[in-house]
Amino acid sequence: MGHRRTNAAIWTWTLFVLVAIYLPIVCGALASFNKSRYFGFPIKTYSTEWWQKTLDSIEIGMIVKTSISIALLVTVFSVVIATFGALAFARYEWKGRRFYQKLILLPIFFPQPVLGLAMLLGFNAVGIQTSWMTAVFAHMIWIVPVVTLVIAIQVYGFDPSLEEAAYDLGCSRTQVFREVTLPLLWPGIWSGMLFAFLLSWSNFPLSLYTTGADSTIPEWLYAKMVAGYTPMVPALGTMATLGAAGLLLAGGLIGLLLRRRAAA
Amino acid sequence: MLQTSPAAPQSAELPKPILQLVGIRKTFGAFTAVENIDLDVREGEFLTIVGPSGSGKTTLLRMLAGMDTPSEGNITLHGQLINDVPPNKRPTCLVFQSLALFPHKSVGENIAFPLKVKGVDPAARKARALELMRVVRLPESYFDKNVMKCSGGERQRVALARALAYDPEVLFFDEPLSAIDYKLKKTLEKELKDLHRETGKTFIYITHSLEEAMVMSDRIGVMRAGRIVQIGTPEEIYGAPVDRFVCEFVGEVNTLKVTRGPDGAWQGVDVPGTFTLAPPRSGADLKEAFVVVRPEFMRILGPGESADNRLEGVVYNEYSLGSRIQYQVRVGAKVMLVELSRGRALPASADRKVTLGWDAADAFTLES
Repeated sequence: MGHRRTNAAIWTWTLFVLVAIYLPIVCGALASFNKSRYFGFPIKTYSTEWWQKTLDSIEIGMIVKTSISIALLVTVFSVVIATFGALAFARYEWKGRRFYQKLILLPIFFPQPVLGLAMLLGFNAVGIQTSWMTAVFAHMIWIVPVVTLVIAIQVYGFDPSLEEAAYDLGCSRTQVFREVTLPLLWPGIWSGMLFAFLLSWSNFPLSLYTTGADSTIPEWLYAKMVAGYTPMVPALGTMATLGAAGLLLAGGLIGLLLRRRAAA
Repeated sequence: MLQTSPAAPQSAELPKPILQLVGIRKTFGAFTAVENIDLDVREGEFLTIVGPSGSGKTTLLRMLAGMDTPSEGNITLHGQLINDVPPNKRPTCLVFQSLALFPHKSVGENIAFPLKVKGVDPAARKARALELMRVVRLPESYFDKNVMKCSGGERQRVALARALAYDPEVLFFDEPLSAIDYKLKKTLEKELKDLHRETGKTFIYITHSLEEAMVMSDRIGVMRAGRIVQIGTPEEIYGAPVDRFVCEFVGEVNTLKVTRGPDGAWQGVDVPGTFTLAPPRSGADLKEAFVVVRPEFMRILGPGESADNRLEGVVYNEYSLGSRIQYQVRVGAKVMLVELSRGRALPASADRKVTLGWDAADAFTLES
């Protein structure tokens, strides 16, 4: 029967995609449990020794802290900038609005290594010493547009007459924002925050050029892959992936609750 | 060219105007949305502005509510100029077409919202919200209900209660009933009229439906292309329309163009014949005019029946309108409409050739 064949095709395809996506990740995770120092399959003896070493390493602790600091600052700054940016172009009619809409998207399509190098040259030219703080700025160049888009979708989704109604019912401009705009934008802002954090957390090309002497997780992984591989590389990689997945899951659940409260 | 119906009673014993508009004009770039409107809104009246979409009625309402500022002219409330007073500082409240209920707040929180903004304490807020829910006939159990889970009619009531919680002197309505099914709409129209009487507040309502306006209003203003063409009681709008636009807005009509013949008699332009007409209300000595006869005043003459004016035609279509039947009668190149009550319907076997007739007093003679 046609229906059964369609179903079979859908299942086969879905399974294929899932395997294709997750097999490398699973392999990476398995590699981190290899007792031997060298990368290779099949794994002869399993051990959690490298995980323990990774957790104990002071160097890795610092790198994780750097990555988290960058990601947190990027999240806070991009969400504030993106929220007002999204309101500006989705809610208000002004000269140059359409141009701004296009312009803000441009950095997303710019190759990141080129963007990173350009920023490094820029920082040097104006005499700014690169460090993890300059990386925050670099990440934002790429992440603010993405977050603006995510939040703009939420802004387009709600009726501007809600704000007018609140204003008409006696609210000051700040009360309108606090009582109506912000609560209704929360689901979008929340998604934007998750995007900002995860995009910064996993960014390599921009960090490579702009962190100076500091190092982020993706940078450390790359450096150790090039020279000095130990199973700590897949171990840290797996931890970073699990951390991101955990954050996404928790964020998704909170987002679901927010959305249910805002729109249900 | 605002024309007040002559039958309109004059000011002396009328309530004083609460809102006054003088020479209001609103332009958006090269587009003029509202053109030179003068209007006195009387305290406590139910005034409806009707007009087709794009006639400027929403723009007019937004200026009254403070969401737009007039390009020219003055709006005064109790004699005080309010052109630039923002909506949150005006004792007026607008019920939006979309109702604009806050989706993240419950029914009770929506209704109590203006009180929360004013800083009223939670207990007093709740008491007042429950009181208003009784006024708009919402069950008390709805207090914690999600507004988005309410039906269309319930949402109307929530929006109304929320507007009343603000305790405005003037309430504005921007076609809030346009998306409601017919039967419920009829109920809500009557409730709104009751509420108007009970609260004694001034209501200004805009709609494109004259039927809605007729049911509820003390006065109706008809808008076209940014101007108020006529303002008066429902009876005046129906019984003494100033031009063809107002006539046609009330319902389908028969319009005939006529000119003065050499002997001074009115001659048909589209249909042959000489007609006896009532003088135009303006009293002007016209060379050309339009005769408008509502389908319910057009008769099908039986043998021996007479009328001031007669036309020979052929019935070629009939429609049931429920209690009435509408006939389309071809007279030369024109199609005339006749509405008869079901009891007086033409028998199926009747000759399709008929004689139409109407009396001069049942028709309007209009300049334009």
